[in-house]
Amino acid sequence: MMIIMQANATPQQVEHVIEHIKAAGLAVHLSQGLEATIIGAIGETHNLPMEQFEGLDGVDIVQRITQPYKLASRQFHPEDSLIPVDGFHVGGDEIAIIAGPCSVESRSQIIETAIAVKEAGASALRGGVFKPRTSPYSFQGLGEEGLEYLAEARAQTGLPIVAEIMSQVQVDLMVKYVDVLQVGARNMQNFNLLRVIGETRTAVLLKRGMSATVEELLMSAEYILAGGNARVMLCERGIRTFETSTRNTTDINAIPVLKKLTHLPVILDPSHATGHVDYVAAIARAAIAAGADGLIIEVHPDPAHAVSDGKQSLRPEAFAAMVKQVGQIAQIMGRKLAAAEAYQPLKQGWA
Amino acid sequence: MMIIMHPGAPRAQIDAVIAEIEKQKLSSHPIFGVEQTIIGAVGDGHYVAKEIFEAFPGVMEVQRISKPYKLASRQFHEQDSAFQLDGFSIGGVEIPIIAGPCSVESRAQILEIAQAVKEGGANALRGGVFKPRTSPYAFQGLGEEGLEYMVEAREKTGLPIVAEVMAVSQIKMMEKYVDVFQLGARNMQNFNLLRAIGETRTPVLFKRGMSATIEEFLMASEYIISGGNTRVMLCERGIRTFETSTRNTTDINAFPVLKKMTHLPVIIDPSHSTGDSDYVAAVAKAGVAAGADGIIVEVHPDPAHAVSDGKQSLRPEAFAKMVKQVRAVAEAVDRRLVIGKL
Repeated sequence: MMIIMQANATPQQVEHVIEHIKAAGLAVHLSQGLEATIIGAIGETHNLPMEQFEGLDGVDIVQRITQPYKLASRQFHPEDSLIPVDGFHVGGDEIAIIAGPCSVESRSQIIETAIAVKEAGASALRGGVFKPRTSPYSFQGLGEEGLEYLAEARAQTGLPIVAEIMSQVQVDLMVKYVDVLQVGARNMQNFNLLRVIGETRTAVLLKRGMSATVEELLMSAEYILAGGNARVMLCERGIRTFETSTRNTTDINAIPVLKKLTHLPVILDPSHATGHVDYVAAIARAAIAAGADGLIIEVHPDPAHAVSDGKQSLRPEAFAAMVKQVGQIAQIMGRKLAAAEAYQPLKQGWA
Repeated sequence: MMIIMHPGAPRAQIDAVIAEIEKQKLSSHPIFGVEQTIIGAVGDGHYVAKEIFEAFPGVMEVQRISKPYKLASRQFHEQDSAFQLDGFSIGGVEIPIIAGPCSVESRAQILEIAQAVKEGGANALRGGVFKPRTSPYAFQGLGEEGLEYMVEAREKTGLPIVAEVMAVSQIKMMEKYVDVFQLGARNMQNFNLLRAIGETRTPVLFKRGMSATIEEFLMASEYIISGGNTRVMLCERGIRTFETSTRNTTDINAFPVLKKMTHLPVIIDPSHSTGDSDYVAAVAKAGVAAGADGIIVEVHPDPAHAVSDGKQSLRPEAFAKMVKQVRAVAEAVDRRLVIGKL
């Protein structure tokens, strides 16, 4: 950490900062410039809050040199992490395609959609049963009944299931049913929820908050990893910007940035990132070309009558066409689409 | 245009709006609801500003139905616009690659880079001679001397040259030298400059402003096209967001959105949109996968000593590698890189 003192800081203030650094068990490196004094704090600083130093008298700027997360960082774990999901691995050569409706609406809807996305090449089924809707008057999800339908869809198709968890109180129930717990964008910094999920050993799809930086996303992932649950996949789902022609702005830069900073797999959600079916396939292709490890896509057999997200849900035929295009991009990237039935357990252990 | 009146707006206010609609040579279609009145204004509304109606008493909201631009719109011109440059076309099946340094620094530098990018697979040479630098103390460019070096580079390599024009006063001089005018992000809404460029017949590489919406971008391109200069290519170069890990945020959504809204070619500038050479190749590939018609990328033989944009400049070897990767992506989306001049 570099602590830059104000130009008029007194020697006493500098001394006071040095005492603080030593008290934190760190080594001090002092450089006295013409205009300002800079104090380097050397050692394990990733778990040291910058705020502690920002509040001291005479301090101008505190700059972090080490990353404020550790378990999520590539420095800590140089190899890509492979996350086993029932049927395939996320983070290796295989590109996972998670598809399904925004909400589980009925038994027949989810089973029909599951069969359709499976035929088109999906490797997992998504479906919300607890829905974080902007309006409290909108459809809030089927709850446990929906999970039972999802389990039935899994039994029929073999597709592992991904569903969003909204609250700590749902954890025990959901881990009985789902293969992957999704943490939604609105809960990316629900730290109590993250801690509880960290205690489970169920795989997690952690969505980036709509106004969260990449660093904040990684710090949220650290909450889960720190609890001992290493099976975390990150998901870019678009950020809030001034642009109004799309629901969100896909931060495509986040894909190569995350692949550099972390070993965790990175998934892209072009449905939310664009908010419009016309743009989903183009952004899905772009994601794979940029290095994403998978996609999560909203598919509905009858988007006009979907209870939520109809405008951004692909019909099964359009989804199948998208999968073909994505497969071509995957191939030239030296990767292939994951298929649930092609699953072979890994020989080597997973760290 | 739909004009939504406040609940309980009196008849006199409604009538005043209707009278204005007719004065603007549009026809009015009022719908009297239980709580509110909505008045449709039907006709060629491109040229009617919605602000006119927003100012009327009793008006709650004005919603545009037709687009506020016309010549740039796909409705007006359904086919993709493609045009020829020296050695290739832009906007068709071919994906041209424009490469070169941020700034022309010296004769030797631009000649060396031109040769290197040509070998790496570039189809045109970029190089700034007038530089819109954030700080007035930073290097401002070599001016006309730099253009002479670029022309020499063109003669040696055959690559057409792209350089940024910053002011109306530079147009006449630059026209003599460049094949393509670049309009930079900071000048996207410099309307006097846009009008003056619209009077020329030199192709334009038009960059999106860093806080401009897509609609504003298309309206700005309308300034150039309405002057009669139809050879405009749009360029997404990243927008300003809250994210700090990259210089800008590449608005990758802009590619399918622009391809739907406009017939103009759309190219990507992954150098500015990421600001870091580590991310340029990935975002270049993503651009082409999303439907981009071309790439403009910064290349420098010695990025550490570049006078500007060193951090985001690729070395020639990295550029050549990127071109190979982009070629594969182009083929996967049924496009191809330019087949070299004979």
